[in-house]
Amino acid sequence: MSHARDPLVVGRVVPDVLELFTRSISLRVTYGQREVTNGLDLRPSQVLNKPRVDIGGEDLRNFYTLVMVDPDVPSPSNPHLREYLHWLVTDIPATTGTNFGNEIVSYESPRPTSGIHRIVLVLFRQLGRQTVYEPGWRQNFNTREFAAIYNLGLPVAAVFFNCQRESGCGGRRS
Amino acid sequence: KQKINQSAFSISSSSSSLSHSHSQAKNMTQVTMEEVWKEINLASLHQHRQLNIDHEPMLRNQNPYNSIFQDFLNMPLNQQQPPPSTSSFPLPPPATVLTLNPHSIHTQFEESAKFGCFGKKRSQDSDESRGDRRHKRMIKNRESAARSRARKQECAYTNELELEIAHLQKENARLKKQEEQLKMAEATQHQTKKTLQRSWTAPF
Repeated sequence: MSHARDPLVVGRVVPDVLELFTRSISLRVTYGQREVTNGLDLRPSQVLNKPRVDIGGEDLRNFYTLVMVDPDVPSPSNPHLREYLHWLVTDIPATTGTNFGNEIVSYESPRPTSGIHRIVLVLFRQLGRQTVYEPGWRQNFNTREFAAIYNLGLPVAAVFFNCQRESGCGGRRS
Repeated sequence: KQKINQSAFSISSSSSSLSHSHSQAKNMTQVTMEEVWKEINLASLHQHRQLNIDHEPMLRNQNPYNSIFQDFLNMPLNQQQPPPSTSSFPLPPPATVLTLNPHSIHTQFEESAKFGCFGKKRSQDSDESRGDRRHKRMIKNRESAARSRARKQECAYTNELELEIAHLQKENARLKKQEEQLKMAEATQHQTKKTLQRSWTAPF
């Protein structure tokens, strides 16, 4: 599969947030009945509560960290507060979900006011169970740096959706 | 200036008494009310002449009392003599401003504030900066268009995959069916072969 057509590359999540990586673990994010596929359009009312997250893997002894960020704050044309940390869950055992992990930073629902924001969920494999310190604030978070500090390596899975304010017009006319 | 301040004070005190007495309006005679209005009119007229008339853009009321009253309300905002060339950004209203009609003061302040900002932009305008700003705007527009195209493609890719999945599923179902049929056909043939049949009878 050509990387150029990977939605994460097309949507510039790579390289805006992440390095190029190869998916190795399944990641399923579901808001209500809706499963998140890359580039799906969701409105704030549809993402009010934390989604259900199911991850793959085989060995229950492996632990994973989930990061949820918005790189387009306050607006995609001027993202000077990139990135905004919406959710941080660590110590998720393989084959389970966020319910079994450690919620370091509680879920805050996206509420973009200006433009269409990409909301990215990234999964990293941890070297072992580890203590992760919550950042002092949510904005100006840097996923790359975070991964480097905690030796998380490259992502093992990621998915993103597009979010705009409730009354948004949906972007440009085609 | 000092004079204006003093008069403002005196008038404000009298009009605050007016507001207080408003509730007692029914008890007051009409003559008293007119007297108070006269006082206000005289005072404001006196100051009206001293102020720069150009900077009171919104006093087009037909009612003479009303327009003069508006002037009066405008007065504290324009206390300083504004320079004639640019539109002035008025000082925040001082404490002596009447509170009889706070809404009108606020909107007038906003209006003149907007007016002031507009003036600022104009003064910075030169050919170079205009070109610069246009250039920046063009770049931002291009970026926005690129993001929009990217969004289109993301969905398109996923849709493509979904279509492919649907197609493959159909194909798979078809092939499975075919396989079933072939197996069944083979099975029945096999059955017939298992039973012994006379194909040739020996002559003896």
